Amino acid sequence: MSSMSRNLIEMIRRHHEQDGQTALALLKEAMDSRGEITDDDRRQVAERSGLPEATVYGISTFYDDLVQPRGRRHVRVCTGTACFAATHDAHVDAIRDGLGVALGERSADGEVSLAETVCLGFCHASPAARDGDVIDAGPGLVERVLSGTMRDAGEPAPVSLLDEPVLTLPGDWAGLRHALRESTSESLLEAVKDANVRGRGGAGFSAGQKWQFTHGAEGAPKFVAANGDEGDPGSYIDKVLMESSPHLVLEGMALAGWAVGAGHGFVLTRSEYPRSKPALEAAADEARAAGLLGDDILGTGFSFDVTIVEGAGSYVVGEETALLASLQGLRGTVSARPPFPAERGIFGLPTLVHNIETLCNFPFVAMHGAEAYRALSPGATPGSKLVCFNERFTRPGVYEVRFGTSVRALCEDVAGGLREGRAIKAVQIGGPLGGILPASKLDTVFDFDELAAEGCMVGHGGIVAFDDTTDMAAVARHLLHFGAAESCGKCFPCRIGLRRAHEMFANGTTVDRALLEELLETLEVASLCAHGSGMPAPIRSLLAHFPEELGLA
Amino acid sequence: MIVIVDGVPTTVAPGTTVLEAARAAGSYVPTLCFDDRQAPFGACRVCLVGVEGAPGPIAACTTPVRDGMVIDTHDDRARRIAANVVELVLSELPVEPAEHTELATVARYFELGAPRWTGAVHAVRHGDDHPYLSFHHELCISCGRCVRACDEVQGTFALTATGRGFDANVAAGLDEGFRLSACVACGACADTCPTDAIGEVVLTSMLEGDREEER
Repeated sequence: MSSMSRNLIEMIRRHHEQDGQTALALLKEAMDSRGEITDDDRRQVAERSGLPEATVYGISTFYDDLVQPRGRRHVRVCTGTACFAATHDAHVDAIRDGLGVALGERSADGEVSLAETVCLGFCHASPAARDGDVIDAGPGLVERVLSGTMRDAGEPAPVSLLDEPVLTLPGDWAGLRHALRESTSESLLEAVKDANVRGRGGAGFSAGQKWQFTHGAEGAPKFVAANGDEGDPGSYIDKVLMESSPHLVLEGMALAGWAVGAGHGFVLTRSEYPRSKPALEAAADEARAAGLLGDDILGTGFSFDVTIVEGAGSYVVGEETALLASLQGLRGTVSARPPFPAERGIFGLPTLVHNIETLCNFPFVAMHGAEAYRALSPGATPGSKLVCFNERFTRPGVYEVRFGTSVRALCEDVAGGLREGRAIKAVQIGGPLGGILPASKLDTVFDFDELAAEGCMVGHGGIVAFDDTTDMAAVARHLLHFGAAESCGKCFPCRIGLRRAHEMFANGTTVDRALLEELLETLEVASLCAHGSGMPAPIRSLLAHFPEELGLA
Repeated sequence: MIVIVDGVPTTVAPGTTVLEAARAAGSYVPTLCFDDRQAPFGACRVCLVGVEGAPGPIAACTTPVRDGMVIDTHDDRARRIAANVVELVLSELPVEPAEHTELATVARYFELGAPRWTGAVHAVRHGDDHPYLSFHHELCISCGRCVRACDEVQGTFALTATGRGFDANVAAGLDEGFRLSACVACGACADTCPTDAIGEVVLTSMLEGDREEER
């Protein structure tokens, strides 16, 4: 029982055994070299990837990076939620008008092209835009885009508010050395279960249980897949980890691989973060040279290596079954579970899928044990959490915090409240599928259950503040535009329902509240994955807290 | 193992899906993306049923049964939500589906009228290059049955899903029509299509066309 084609997966597995590139990697190359993909490219990619021509065609029409034609100069303007909160999209209009090219179009002379991108992860300095691999952000952005004087924007270093940092360390492989020397893979698995490490990608699923499932699954070899597709607009936590602490990420993967019996790992990075893949590859090279990755690690007989794969622009690829499809070079659509990745993942073999931040928890557990890990957030969810703040705050950046503080403490004490004397109107926590907390509810405790009680979630930990100048109907349009544009198109409720929900807010008439709520319930109950079932959450928050702004009838 | 479907105890093998169990018990569960010659796909979400103890309706086609599971194919919420999904499907088509199609049959089952949600519809695009197969892209509801028929039943891989979100559709080969694709004209796609987006060109109508040309 599976909706990912077993025949195609088998073709891909055989091709991989011969070290061939995936169809997606080859299509990306074609796009990078010519700025568009022709049918000749597709035929060649089919030949070289061993996949049918139709399959290659389908892949080439799925990803943002493959469908947007590129001029000699290709400008991508960030339309993420932090950029929206900063300018209410004024930067998008100004760049479009100034360049004289519509979004998704290329000028007739082929000189310049403009595309939307969500999101570049420069939410601390919004608005942001990209030209080639130069990412610029902050005041004066529009002028620099239009005058062709863009320059790389800086990024704040992550800050830990714990006595001893856990997740903001660069990674020194001490956890793996310690585990290989002092422990067994079984006892590490027990320690991770005992530590009650919960997944940091959004769902909060028990990491120990996933390890147990993958460890016990029939089939070999097994794999570890690191989910670096941090698509949540307003979140740049995994970006910082992959680019500032790549050794910590790789060490976490090796530990997980050791415990579940996997010998190879794949990391999927985002093409919106062009610095992630080089940073991870450089770290992997260093680790191989130090005998920490590769065959017979530190003489223990354990072998583990990694492959870094860059995506091509799709939010839903962050969903685990879509991630696996994309890692294998297919269309990044969601598959029904069961089978779970632990049973049938990459090449149809058992695969442990973890978010990047989750992986970074394992070196600490391996080194210090479950009790020390649980003690990091006394009386709350074990471990620590990285959160990040958008440009509206006085001190935006990535911070390591304990679970169990209040959202107000995070917003006011950690991030310093809003700049320019503005007041918080509402915050969205945990990405576009997270509910929206109005200013009156900022005393809510930052933890899984407490946020869930307010229709919100920890999610991935991005905190985006909307200031008191924000029109909440525009927030609804912004979120539903994103939701509809990023629907993978697999399940009917999400594919059609998010389009209709966006139309209800965007067509200029009043919104029939009863009909909207019927649609939201249909999305919540019937959608195949968290994209369709989660997008109603922030809309429900807006209905609960800002009904007078939404033009309801 | 034994499951209870609409009050009827039914013996099924482990690994059976809720949909298979319901059908074995003689209960009707409407579907759009399901074809019992193919692996379950879980896309249309029209096969929602109630299961005792579950937090909400579940998709019958992709959920394996558990021993003692109590399944209600008449669950009010499941039926209402499934009807909404079919209504959304009708809202994306520029024309009503032909009466004999599976989509029209399911719409009649739910007693649906004109969709309450309206907005963009699929652009009309026809592929008439092939002697036996016709393509009406605007009728495609992305159920994936044609793509899976070509993959799992015929093994030809001439079809693919295309695009993303509301713009998802299907294409033969490089979207240049059936004739230039790897299609072997087996007709499995037309046979399984629930909307006539892919249909068989009726020979008699071709003959009539020829006669008109002769005149």
